[in-house]
Amino acid sequence: MSLGNNSRISSAIDSLIAHLVPADPDDDDQTSKERHDNCFELVRSILENPGSPAVSSDVNHASDLIKRKLIQTNPSQALRFSNLYTRLLSLPVLNQKWAILYLLYQLSDSPDPNEPLPLSPLRQLRQPVHREPRPRQEKERQPRVAAPTQTSQEDEAFNDAFAPGGLRGFPPEQATRGPGNERATSGQSTHNEPKREPRNVSLKSTLLADNSVVIEPSETALLRDLPFTLQGLSSTTLPFSKETSLKLPPTLPPPLISLLHTLAEPSLLYRGLSTFVTSPAGGLLGQSLRSAINNELRSYLSLVATLEAQIRRALSSLDESAPRGGIGKAGVTLKRCVVWTREATMGLRLMSLIAEESKSKRGGQLVSLIHGFSAAHGDPIVAAFAERLLAHVTRPFYDILRRWIYDGELLDPFLEFFVKEQRPSDDDRKDLKAKGLTSVWNSKYEVDDAMVPSIITADFAQKVFLIGKSLNFIRHSCGDSQWVEAYSKTSSKELRYGDTATLEAWIDEAYKTTMQRLMQLMSSKFHLFDHLQALKNYILLGQGDFIALLMESLAANLDRPAGAQYRHTLTAQLEHAIRGSNAQYDSPDVLRRLDARMLQLSHGDIGWDCFTLEYKIDAPVDVVVTEWGNRQYLKVFNFLWRIKRVEFALASTWRRCMTGARGVLQTDDEAVLQTWKSTRGVLAEMVHFVGQLQYYILFEVIESSWTELQKNIRKEDCTLDDLIRAHTKYLTAITQKGLLGAKRKQHVEQDNVEDRNSYMVQLGELLRTMLAYRDSVDGLYSWSVSDFTRRQEADAADLLGRNVHGGVDSPDPFSSAAAGGQVRSEMPALQERLRQLGASFRTRLQILLGDLAYQPDVDMRFLGVAMNFNDVYQPVRRKTKTAGVPSTGEKGKG
Amino acid sequence: MPKDDRTPKGTPLATEKAEKQAAAHQAVDILHEISTILNCHLDRRTVSICISLIENGINPEALASVVKELRAEAQEVQIESASRQR
Repeated sequence: MSLGNNSRISSAIDSLIAHLVPADPDDDDQTSKERHDNCFELVRSILENPGSPAVSSDVNHASDLIKRKLIQTNPSQALRFSNLYTRLLSLPVLNQKWAILYLLYQLSDSPDPNEPLPLSPLRQLRQPVHREPRPRQEKERQPRVAAPTQTSQEDEAFNDAFAPGGLRGFPPEQATRGPGNERATSGQSTHNEPKREPRNVSLKSTLLADNSVVIEPSETALLRDLPFTLQGLSSTTLPFSKETSLKLPPTLPPPLISLLHTLAEPSLLYRGLSTFVTSPAGGLLGQSLRSAINNELRSYLSLVATLEAQIRRALSSLDESAPRGGIGKAGVTLKRCVVWTREATMGLRLMSLIAEESKSKRGGQLVSLIHGFSAAHGDPIVAAFAERLLAHVTRPFYDILRRWIYDGELLDPFLEFFVKEQRPSDDDRKDLKAKGLTSVWNSKYEVDDAMVPSIITADFAQKVFLIGKSLNFIRHSCGDSQWVEAYSKTSSKELRYGDTATLEAWIDEAYKTTMQRLMQLMSSKFHLFDHLQALKNYILLGQGDFIALLMESLAANLDRPAGAQYRHTLTAQLEHAIRGSNAQYDSPDVLRRLDARMLQLSHGDIGWDCFTLEYKIDAPVDVVVTEWGNRQYLKVFNFLWRIKRVEFALASTWRRCMTGARGVLQTDDEAVLQTWKSTRGVLAEMVHFVGQLQYYILFEVIESSWTELQKNIRKEDCTLDDLIRAHTKYLTAITQKGLLGAKRKQHVEQDNVEDRNSYMVQLGELLRTMLAYRDSVDGLYSWSVSDFTRRQEADAADLLGRNVHGGVDSPDPFSSAAAGGQVRSEMPALQERLRQLGASFRTRLQILLGDLAYQPDVDMRFLGVAMNFNDVYQPVRRKTKTAGVPSTGEKGKG
Repeated sequence: MPKDDRTPKGTPLATEKAEKQAAAHQAVDILHEISTILNCHLDRRTVSICISLIENGINPEALASVVKELRAEAQEVQIESASRQR
């Protein structure tokens, strides 16, 4: 367009000049006028230039430019601008809106004209431009302008150092200024010198940035390829040579190489992880880990996408002619990319670490591994990252957990849960099975400690295990699956990682409910406690009247050989005993289970040795009273039965002796009287011994253990496990304290293998001795009776003969002497045998007391004291007696 | 001028003028505000002059350099007067 013929424009320019360039008050009109004219000339010359045609006349373009600029520098104002912009668009008056906006954009961030300007390269350049039209004035002014230079002499050296940089910056600047500037260069050398003021930092950095060498490939090329590299794709400048290595161009300087090294890390990690994600997983947790990592990789890719967009935009707005391709001004550099990708790199690093370690781990170990990072890692970023990962990874774990604690079903196809089904093929399992220690309760599932993830504690794991096990037990063994189903319907909740407190509360609740239900079933439906009571009453001889009656009615029967015992007679007697005692009031369910039978016969046994009472236990109570427990009960019963039998035998003998003493046993023979006296003494000792033993076992051992058991199983939060444990403890206590299982110290019995079950053997011997003694006493009794009869007969004959024959009886003395000799001849043998058995009993008892006195258990020591309360016996220490025992034993046998 | 073409027939010229003035005033207000946001350091008068120049078809880029030049000139004048006073 032409300006000259448009008066409007010239007047506007005039006013603009007048407004922007105030008249110098010192100048006269002439100079002001001249200056004004000069300006006008200058303005005209600029305006008549065709200008850059690059600007498109689109209103949106200019506003976009402004908006972008505002978002970069001052985002809060961007909104305000958009408001203003819409208002402007709605105004009808202007039709060159884009041009005005563009003008404002060009002028934006221009230095405030009212402030003294810092010296910028732009200004240095500009000076010659408008000086040109008036060289005359310039010459006048120069001395004045140079004046400030003196004040800043010291800056000179400093500025000189940057001079080359400053000069080098000119050509590109000039290029933008159009053809009008060529003229200016002539004056430049003279005029840029004087105006020296302290330069600001931005200038220095610009100068430094210009001071670079050309690199190949250029940073822009690298930037262009960077997004591909970050996605693990090969590009021309940065090809992946192998699966795990990136080839960097060899021509680059070391600083760039190190930058690229840093950028290569996420690329390589990404490659590794993306192959890991597609690799097949060996389990649900492995799959969830892969999916969680995949999610993270997706967010990494979106980061790369943003990065790429930034790079694209920066590259498109790049000024190719600027130094270093103008990359410094574009806002995106390799360095900046390093910073942007740093956090993502850390995440990738952590994930590849996890991926690497997860190859050898599965299930709970995997969870523990990640939880280790979230709980124990000092870096909060790593911890937070692992925490996020954990929320995804643990999902299948919590699904399994949920099935387990609400349904009691183990749904774990890859064996990843910490509860697993036991395999019966294991050796130690077989061992346990052989011992009868297994049951549905404790051999169906087990906790695998290695698989317990660290997000839950060991206690907690135990609880979870118990809950599931109980539910499973209720469903399958107690036949109460309706309850389990109803329960799982009402209380089933979604379990998730994170809120540990709530989770614990839920599990505690589930635990309480399940345990309560199980105990309730056990006590009300399966009468567990009634059974335990019955076992104590019948098998452990707690029901005295029943046992007494049974023994009385069976005694005659059991004296016969074992082969002559018939089950029907035994059961008939049992029935009789039940009917005749308080046992008849017991519940029929209990009595139905009571059975009498014979153990396996061995040759020469009599009924007493084989008879046993049995209490039948069926599922599911047999998880408490196990096979092993049944055997223990039988063992105790047999032992007690034998003691009872001896007591019974001794009591009957004693009764006979006492009644006999008033009649048949009266004699004048001193020796016989003496024998009877000592025999009664020994019998009394034996009765005392048996009484003490029975008292001890029944009251000190069984009753106290029973109280303990009751206390344990009546507890508020008793679980089936506690119950089983308490019951086992109860049985062990009875067998240990009841002299059945106690073993003497190992070093004592090393030379004597058959002493392993020492007390059992000793007591067996004692009981046998007592039975033998009783037999002897019976022998003595019958001898005494026959002696008495003989004497009575003799007396009668004497009387008869004296009456009939007149005092002389020739054949009778012979016959009587012969008979008396025969009967009398048995007497010394009996005496000897009684004496020997009595001595043997005493010796054995003393050894037993010696052993008891050194027992660690207080109750057993007390038994010794009770037996020997008046120090009648001299307890013998086994250690000193080892040599003496065989001799007395032989003497006893002989 | 394109603006003049928009004068509708039969409307009193005075009202028309006043309306236009108000609109122009508003436009100057808005643009001045934008220039403040953008740190252009232009006062209202300069803005309105620039608007009229551009409405008359001046190239905005050239105008921008003009403003810059004139500012430099003004500064020089200032410096000169300042040094003279010293």
